[in-house]
Amino acid sequence: MRSENLKTVFKQDRPFFLAIPAILWPAIFLYIPLVFLVGISFLKSFDYSVFDYSVIDALTFNNYRLLFSFTYVKILFRSFYLAFFTGFFCLLISYPIAYFLALRVGRFKNLLLFFLVLPFWTNFIVQVYAWFYILDVKGVLNTVFLKLGIISEPLHILYTPTAIYIVMLFCYLPFMVMPIYTSLSKIEKDTLEASDDLGAKPWQTLLYVTWPLSLSGVVTGFFLVYIPSFGEFVIPTLLGGGKIMFVGSLISYFFLDTKNIFLGAAFTCVSGLFLIISALLIFWIFRRYAKKVGGIYEK
Amino acid sequence: MRSNYGLGHYLLPIFVFFIYILLYCPIIVLVLFSFNKSPLSYKWVGFSFCWYKELFQSVEILAALKNSLIVASVSVFFSVSMGLFYVFYGTSRFLNRMIVFFYGSLIAPEIVLAVILLNFFTFFSIPLGLATLIVGHTLIGLGYVVPMLRNRYSEIDYSLIEASLDLGATRNQTFLKIVVPLLSPAIISSALLVLIVSFDDFLISFFCSGAVTLTLPMYIFAEIRAGATPVVNALSTLLLVTSSFLILILTSLKMRTRIF
Amino acid sequence: MREIRLSNVKKSFKGEVILEGLNLTIPSGEFFALLGPSGSGKTTLLRLIAGFESVDTGSIFIGNKNITNVPINKRRVNTVFQNYALFPHFNVFDNVAYSLKIRGLKKDVIEQKVIKILKSVHLEKQIYKSIHQLSGGQQQRVALARAVINEPDVLLLDEPLAALDLKLREKMLVELIDLQDVLKTTFIYVTHDQFEALTVADRMAIMNSEGEIEQVGTPEDIYEFPRTSFVAKFVGTTNLLKGILRAEDNKTFVEIENLGKFEALLPKNKKWVCNGCNILMSLRPEKIEISKTPLTGFSNCLEGQVDSIVYHGRSTQYYVKLKNGFLLHVFEQNEEHFPQEEIDYDDKVYMYWQKENVVLLEK
Repeated sequence: MRSENLKTVFKQDRPFFLAIPAILWPAIFLYIPLVFLVGISFLKSFDYSVFDYSVIDALTFNNYRLLFSFTYVKILFRSFYLAFFTGFFCLLISYPIAYFLALRVGRFKNLLLFFLVLPFWTNFIVQVYAWFYILDVKGVLNTVFLKLGIISEPLHILYTPTAIYIVMLFCYLPFMVMPIYTSLSKIEKDTLEASDDLGAKPWQTLLYVTWPLSLSGVVTGFFLVYIPSFGEFVIPTLLGGGKIMFVGSLISYFFLDTKNIFLGAAFTCVSGLFLIISALLIFWIFRRYAKKVGGIYEK
Repeated sequence: MRSNYGLGHYLLPIFVFFIYILLYCPIIVLVLFSFNKSPLSYKWVGFSFCWYKELFQSVEILAALKNSLIVASVSVFFSVSMGLFYVFYGTSRFLNRMIVFFYGSLIAPEIVLAVILLNFFTFFSIPLGLATLIVGHTLIGLGYVVPMLRNRYSEIDYSLIEASLDLGATRNQTFLKIVVPLLSPAIISSALLVLIVSFDDFLISFFCSGAVTLTLPMYIFAEIRAGATPVVNALSTLLLVTSSFLILILTSLKMRTRIF
Repeated sequence: MREIRLSNVKKSFKGEVILEGLNLTIPSGEFFALLGPSGSGKTTLLRLIAGFESVDTGSIFIGNKNITNVPINKRRVNTVFQNYALFPHFNVFDNVAYSLKIRGLKKDVIEQKVIKILKSVHLEKQIYKSIHQLSGGQQQRVALARAVINEPDVLLLDEPLAALDLKLREKMLVELIDLQDVLKTTFIYVTHDQFEALTVADRMAIMNSEGEIEQVGTPEDIYEFPRTSFVAKFVGTTNLLKGILRAEDNKTFVEIENLGKFEALLPKNKKWVCNGCNILMSLRPEKIEISKTPLTGFSNCLEGQVDSIVYHGRSTQYYVKLKNGFLLHVFEQNEEHFPQEEIDYDDKVYMYWQKENVVLLEK
């Protein structure tokens, strides 16, 4: 009944136009530039002052041909591994934490949640910088390990891929915990008690009841981590020493360092496509799994 | 409750505790070392406030802070007001379905957003600076504001709006006197959220601010690249404290609305 | 005269027709009730008058003014909502003063009016309280005050007492009647509870589940002389017996298979009346006299065996099995402490009624 009312109730008023700016904003500053980008990827040059047929002259697939080289493909897959690895291990670590917060903790839940969310709101850059103190040759990790006798010589972690992976993992952790926590907390306690009542051991309840019911949170969390991680710029740049290229750093390189926006645009489109396709693939695999297990995608 | 506790039941809290420590170790160390007397970062020499003093005297930092604040507050203003108008006045069925439109800025990786914005501005020869930053941050802000306000608006008892009209108010009067007050927790929450997101944002700032303008995150990034002094620690600590404070307000607001 | 007139109104939602060809006139100054089961479209009708919905075809008039296309906030109609719809961020005073503030009246004028109206609904002690501190009944009165302060032409009440408990409801009904007497505004009261409708209404309309108006009239009219079996069954309870109409020696009889012939009064001006046509006889339980021994002085009599007895304190209800298997519902007031005859299960009883107390219906 409600949407009927809206037309009746409001039809005589004019300020419909007040709603327009909000729509125009993404239209002008997101979707049109996106189209632009795709368009530019097909050009080899563009004279900004001449708005006529020179555009057609400059059309080319060359940019995309250039990208088929091994270097670029390697970078794409490197970012893919990083994103997937981050997502996967974040899941491994986050799930127990979310489980603990949602189903185990009673009184201190809000407090613990607050402390979990806090790093989430700390400036990303600050977080990364903080990890320098841990991972440096003279940092906390090495000092502690040396003192405990686990290693005899300090480890050089900074400016290696290992550092990147570790920091990615911890920086994206809150992104994964929150959705899983939300979906776990939506499970009715009765359901779990029923499982106990019917004789299931704790691990069985977890595997057959809790896990399937939390799948929607898992998938949300995974993609909340996977998608940004793929294009991550800050962490690889700061911790990788600028030698190892990922998608994010390469895009930045194209646009800011070489000013080759055409190749850059093409690469951005390619990586975007790669991201979408890989995400859809993962999602499809996940759906098949969920259907088997009895999660949210049952039809 | 249950009597068949497995080993996992006891390992779990230990594991979680361990992770929390790992999560906070870097930050705690960072904060600690902001009070370190020595400029060489990794050795503890003595306690000192000198870096904080230097922080408040740094022209660079204050300029970056000013920029961050300006961009953040203007972005908040734009995104919240546009979002609010959209939620209340955008009632045709077409606009209703358009809500997915706003998810674009949330889904796309930020670097893509940054790059296409840069491209767009360069193409139209728009000078890069605070204005372009505001445009970018408002874009992101809308992605947070519109869903939040939409959600809260749909939870308002619709008969309240009918009652207001029934009693003679025009649509605008209903908007100002009834809808906005009822939405105020959500308005404040989303405003705070956009404020934090904008203040912390790096990528869009990095790409769209041009050579001269610096925001706070950009400053920190440059310092780390170049080799940071503990002034950065001091700055980070202060940012941390401010964020925590704002988050506290946010969460207490969220809790109060649930009781409401 | 500011009477409300709906002319040939049609309203549908998403393809489903709720109201069609609806015509209704409500005289000014009356307490008018709209009674019907859930889904009968009575709330839709109310919302059409208020302006929350617009008609597909047809028109709505208040007096001479055609308000069909007038927007909600310009109609001189106010609504008391079922869930009260009080503004949660305003206190009692601000809620009631809302419409006056909108109109831009001066502060002291507003204060005067608000206090006066709150006094008339007995809320003078709660003027500055937050609405969350009020009980259901008090909130209801705030909603009432808020709607009435505007002096509208019509006040619409959408099942306003549904959320209150029985005793409170009965009290509020009386207060509503008094209020309407004082204000002389037309009240249109929508409900599915026949007790409420019969209590408050000067006149009422019964709607059926198809969105049609079955009958319009005073409560007595509707109760004693229902025009369709729907009305007879919906308002109060009745026994409906199928039979054939027979005219003999200037008298009218209803012939019921296996039971015999029963005298009735011929309904006036009924086009469907004809000798030998099918007819329904509506006999209300309270019009039947039940006895173990034969009585004289009644036009009609039936015999049967008591099937079940339900004791209600003030009354006893009997369900008596007739020769043709029909269970006749009989209502007896318990007038005496020690009744002269005790009627028990399986007793053979006689049931009597007068020919005037029967209503003949077509279907």
